[in-house]
Amino acid sequence: MLTPLLVIPLIGAIAIVLYPDAKKSWVVATVFCLLSFGWSLYLLSQFDLSFGGLQFVEFHQWVEPLGLNYSFGVDGLSLPLLVLNSLLSAIAIHTNRKDLERSRFHDSLILLVNAGIAGALIAQNLLLFVIFYELELIPFYLMIAIWGGKNRGYASTKFLLYTAVSGLLVIAGFLGTTFLSGSPSFEIADLQVQNLDSVPKLLLLTALLLGFGIKTPLVPLHTWMPDTYVEASPATAILLGGILAKLGTYGLLRFGLQLFPDTWELIAPVLAVVGTVSVIYGAMNAIAQQDIKRMVAYSSIGHMGYILVAAAAGTELSVQGAIAQMLAHGMILALLFFLVGVVEKTTGTRDRSVLNGLMNPIRGLPLTSGLLILAGMASAGIPGLVGFTAEFVVFQGSFATFPIPTLICIISSGLTAVYFVILINRTCFGKLDNASAYYDRLEVNDRWPALVLTAIVLFLGIQPNWLLRWMEPTTTSLAIELHRPAIARVAAIDTIHQP
Amino acid sequence: MNPFSQSVWFVPLYAVLGALLTLLWSPGLIRRSGPRPAGYVNLVLTVSGLVHSLFALREVWSEPVYLSVPWLHAANLDITFDVEASAVTVGALVVILGLNALTQIYAIAYLEMDWGWARFYALLALFEAGMSALALTNSLFFSYVMLEILTLGTYLLIGFWFNQSLVVTGARDGFLTKRVGDLVLLMGVVALYPLAGTWNYDELAVWASNVNLDPKVATLLGLALLIGPVGKCAQFPLQLWLDEAMEGPVPATVLRNAVVVSMGAWVLIKVQPILQLSPIAVNAEIAIGAFTAVSCAAIGLAQVDIKRVFSYATSSYLGIVFVAVGTGQSEAALMLLLTYAIAMALMIMSVGGIVLNNIAQDITFLGGLWSRRPISGICYVVGALSLVAVPPLGCFWGLATIANGLSPFLLAVLLLVNGITACSLARVFGQLFAGPVTDWTRRSPEGLWALVLPMMALLGIALHMPLILAFLGLLPELSLLTEPATLLMVLSSAVGGGLGLFLYTSPTISKPIVLPVPAVQDFFAYDLYTAKLYKVTVVAVVGIVAKVIDWCDRVVVDGAINLVGLLTLASGQTLKYNTTGQVQFYALSILIGTIVLGLILSFPILAAFSQL
Repeated sequence: MLTPLLVIPLIGAIAIVLYPDAKKSWVVATVFCLLSFGWSLYLLSQFDLSFGGLQFVEFHQWVEPLGLNYSFGVDGLSLPLLVLNSLLSAIAIHTNRKDLERSRFHDSLILLVNAGIAGALIAQNLLLFVIFYELELIPFYLMIAIWGGKNRGYASTKFLLYTAVSGLLVIAGFLGTTFLSGSPSFEIADLQVQNLDSVPKLLLLTALLLGFGIKTPLVPLHTWMPDTYVEASPATAILLGGILAKLGTYGLLRFGLQLFPDTWELIAPVLAVVGTVSVIYGAMNAIAQQDIKRMVAYSSIGHMGYILVAAAAGTELSVQGAIAQMLAHGMILALLFFLVGVVEKTTGTRDRSVLNGLMNPIRGLPLTSGLLILAGMASAGIPGLVGFTAEFVVFQGSFATFPIPTLICIISSGLTAVYFVILINRTCFGKLDNASAYYDRLEVNDRWPALVLTAIVLFLGIQPNWLLRWMEPTTTSLAIELHRPAIARVAAIDTIHQP
Repeated sequence: MNPFSQSVWFVPLYAVLGALLTLLWSPGLIRRSGPRPAGYVNLVLTVSGLVHSLFALREVWSEPVYLSVPWLHAANLDITFDVEASAVTVGALVVILGLNALTQIYAIAYLEMDWGWARFYALLALFEAGMSALALTNSLFFSYVMLEILTLGTYLLIGFWFNQSLVVTGARDGFLTKRVGDLVLLMGVVALYPLAGTWNYDELAVWASNVNLDPKVATLLGLALLIGPVGKCAQFPLQLWLDEAMEGPVPATVLRNAVVVSMGAWVLIKVQPILQLSPIAVNAEIAIGAFTAVSCAAIGLAQVDIKRVFSYATSSYLGIVFVAVGTGQSEAALMLLLTYAIAMALMIMSVGGIVLNNIAQDITFLGGLWSRRPISGICYVVGALSLVAVPPLGCFWGLATIANGLSPFLLAVLLLVNGITACSLARVFGQLFAGPVTDWTRRSPEGLWALVLPMMALLGIALHMPLILAFLGLLPELSLLTEPATLLMVLSSAVGGGLGLFLYTSPTISKPIVLPVPAVQDFFAYDLYTAKLYKVTVVAVVGIVAKVIDWCDRVVVDGAINLVGLLTLASGQTLKYNTTGQVQFYALSILIGTIVLGLILSFPILAAFSQL
C-alpha cells in the first residue's frame, strides 16, 4: 500500500527525462504528483481511525547482516504529512514557472524530493530512514545551487554542511541506540531502548535533538535557514519550509518522544524553554527584517518553537496540536512563500521600504495582496483560519504542563501580528508608485496554486476536525507512553494509600 | 414548531454569504458592471437576516432556545458552538442587523463615487457576521473568536482608503492595540478551561458561584478576562486606536462606535461572574471605567476633529458601562448600551453628511449650517439629547438607573462625565450649526436620499425610545424620576449643555477658546500624550529588542558559524605549505605521530606503573 508513494514520483522523475518536449515537463510532473496525492488521499480514506499503531505495514528482508529491511508503515503522525508532501510538490511545480530554465531537470528534482521525503516518513527502519533523510539533500542542494538567487553558492553550501552535520548526529544517535541497547536490528519495533541506562539515553537523545533541531530549525541552530530560504527559488523554499523542515519535527516526535519517553519527560522543561526562546527570537528577528522573504523565513523559526513547546509538554492534546501545527504551518508557509515569490517576480524587489500599494486594483496586484493579507493573518493565528486551530490546540494542550512558557508563547503570537502588519502595511497598503508600476499581467499559474492553498487554509480553519481527527489515536498512545512512569507512580501511591 | 429560532444560528451566515458573493465583483467584473451590485447584494442579505431575527425574536420572547453545534474535538477537548437565543440575545441581534441595514443604505450615498464597494461591503458583512455570532454565542471561547474576527475587520475597514499614510498607521495601531487585548483574553480563556472545564457562560456562572479559588489565581484570571473588553471598548490605556480609527469611512465609524465597541462590554457582562471572584479585578474594572469616562470626556472637549469628539464620547460612555457592570448593574448597562447605540449612530450619521460634502472634519472651519441643513441639525440635536441625561429620551433612563446605584464618589464621576459630554456636544452644535457661515459651509445642501433616509429612520426610533423601552419592559419604576441622584443628573446635563451653548453660540466670546494654562489644554488635546506613552514604552522596547536580536543573530550566532568555516579554511591554507616534498620532513612527521600514538595506546600501562 505504501510503496506507490515511493514509486510513483520516482517513475515520474524518469518519465520527465524521457519525455521529448522539455517545455511540457510540468504536465508530466503534475500528472505524477496528482497520482501520488490521490494515492495518499486514498490511504487517508482507508486509514483506521480507531487504531493507534502502524497501518499499511510492508516488510521485506533486505540486507540482513546490516539489519536493514524494507520496512514501511504509517500512523497518525506520518500519514497527514504524506498528504501535505504530495500537495506541496504539486504546488511547487506550478510556482514561478515563467521563463524557468532547465525545466525538465527542475521538475524531476521536485519529484525526487517528493519520493525522498515520502520514504523518510514511511520508513520504519532506522537505517532506511537515514538513507532517505540524507538522499533528499542532493536534489535540494542542486535546486538551491542552480535556481537560487544571487548568493546561492554560499546558501547552498551552508545548507549542505548544516544538514550533513544534522544527518551525522542522527546516524550517531541511531547507531548508538541500536548497539548500546543490544537490539537485534535497526527495526524501530525491535529496539530495546529500555535496556539502556539513563546517562547513555540522555546522550543519545541529545544527539538526536541536535540533529533534528538543525533541520527544524531551532535557535541557535538555525542560521542556515534564513539564508537558504531567501536564496532558494520560491518553489524550493516552499518545499524546504513547507515539508523538509517538518522532517525535523517529525524526527523529534518519532525518535525523541516515542523512543525515549522517560528521558524526554526529564528534559522537557529545557525543551520548553528552548521552544519559547525560538518563538520570541524568530518573531523579534522577523520584525527587524527589511526583506519580506527573510521576514517570512524568520516567522518560520517562531512557529517551529510552538511545535517544540507542545512536544515537550507531551499531553495528548499538545502532541496533537504539535502535529496540527506542522501541517498548518506547512500550508501557510507555502502560501506565503508563493505569494512573496509572485510579488518579487512582478515588482523585482523584496525590500519592504521599496514596495508599496500593491492593493491597487488596476495597476497593482489586488488578488495577490488580498491573499497575502489572508495568509499573514492565518500565520498570526486569527480564528477562522487553520493557523489558529493548530495554535489554540497547542496552547490549550501545553498549558497544563508548562503554564508560563505557554503564556509567553501566547504573548509572542502578538509579535507575529506585529511583523505581518508591518509586511502588509508596507507592501499591500500605501500608495503605488505610478512611475514604476508597469507590472506584467499575472498568469493563471500565479493564481490557482495560491487559491487552492487558501481554500484549504480556510476550510480547515472552519472545520478543524478534518485536520485533527487523523492523529488522535496515535497521539493517545504516544502520550500514554510518555506518561507511563508518572501513571505508574500514581498507581503506586494509590496502592499504598488503599487500606 | 419554532422554525426561525431553531435556525437562528444561520443569521450570521447571511452576512458571510453576502461577503462571499461580493468576491465576484473583483476588479475584473467591476469594469463591466460597476461596483454597485456588490453593495445591493449585501443589503438584501442583511435585510433577510433582519427579518429572520425579527421572526425569531417573536418566537423566543417567552422562552429561550438553546442550541449546540460541535465544532472541534481533540483528545479531551471538545469545543461546541453554543447558541443562546433568548429575548436579550436575539434583541441584540435585531439591533445589530437593523443598524447594519441602515448603515449599508447610508453607505450607498456615502461611497457613491468610490470604486471599492465590493471590498467595503464585504468588510461590513464581516463585521455583521462577527457581531451577530458574538451576540448569539453562549461560549467564552467563541466570544474570543468573534472578537478576533472583529479585530481583523476593524483593521481592514480602517485601512479601507489604504493610499493615505495616516490611514495605514491608524489601521496598524487599531489592529495591534486590539490584538493585545484579545491575546490577554486568550490567556484567560486558555487558563480558565482547566479550572472550570467549560466555556459555556451559564455553566461558568454556576461554577463561579460554587468554586473556592486561590485569590491570586482568581485575580490573574479576572484581570486577563478584563483586558480583552478593555481593548475592545477602547478603555484606558488601550483607548488610542479608536481615535485613529476615525481615518476610516463614516459608515464604518457609525457601526464601530455604535455597536462594535459595545460588543466588548457585552462580553464583559457575560464574564462578570468570574470577575467577581476577585475584588481586585472588580475594583480595577471600576477604576479603569471611571478614569476612562472622565478623561475621555475631557479629551473629547478639546478635540477639533469632529469624528474624534465622537470617538472619545464612545470611550467615555463605555467607561460608564464598565462602572455599571462593576457595581453589579448589568441590566442597566445593557439598557444603556441599547439607547447609546441608537443615539450615537444618529449623531454620527447626521454629521457624516456634513463631512461628506463640506469636505471638512475640523469643527472650527464649519458654522451656520442650521438653515442649510435643517434635517441634519434636528437629527444631531435629538441624538445629542438622547445621549446625555435628558428626560424622557433614550440614555436618560439607563444613566439615571446607574446613578442611583452608585457610591457618592462614583456618582460625582458620572455627573462630571454627563456634564462634560453635554458641554462637548453643545460645543459641536454651536460650531457646526450656529454662528456665521464660513467659506467651507457656504454651499451645503442636504445629502442624497440614501443619506437622509437612515437618519430619519433612526430619528424616529430615537424619539420613540421611551415607548420602545416600555414595550420591552425595560423602563424603570417612575419613582426613579424624583430621586435626588436623578435630579442631579438632569441638572448636570442642563449646566453642561447650557455652558457649552452659551460659550459657543454667543458672538461675544472669541473662538477658539484658549484655557489660561495651555499645558492643560494640550494635555487633553493630545489624548493625555498616550501616543508618546506607547512610543517610549512598548514600541521602543519591541523595536530595540528586535534590533538587538537581529544584530546578535547576524554577528554572534551566524558569526560563530562563519568563524568555524574561516578557521577551517585558514588552517588548511596554512597547512598546505607543509607539502614541500622533502622526504626527511615526512619521515619526521611519521615518527612523531607514531610516538604520540604509542603513548596514547600505552597510557593504561604507564598509569599502572605510576601507581607502583
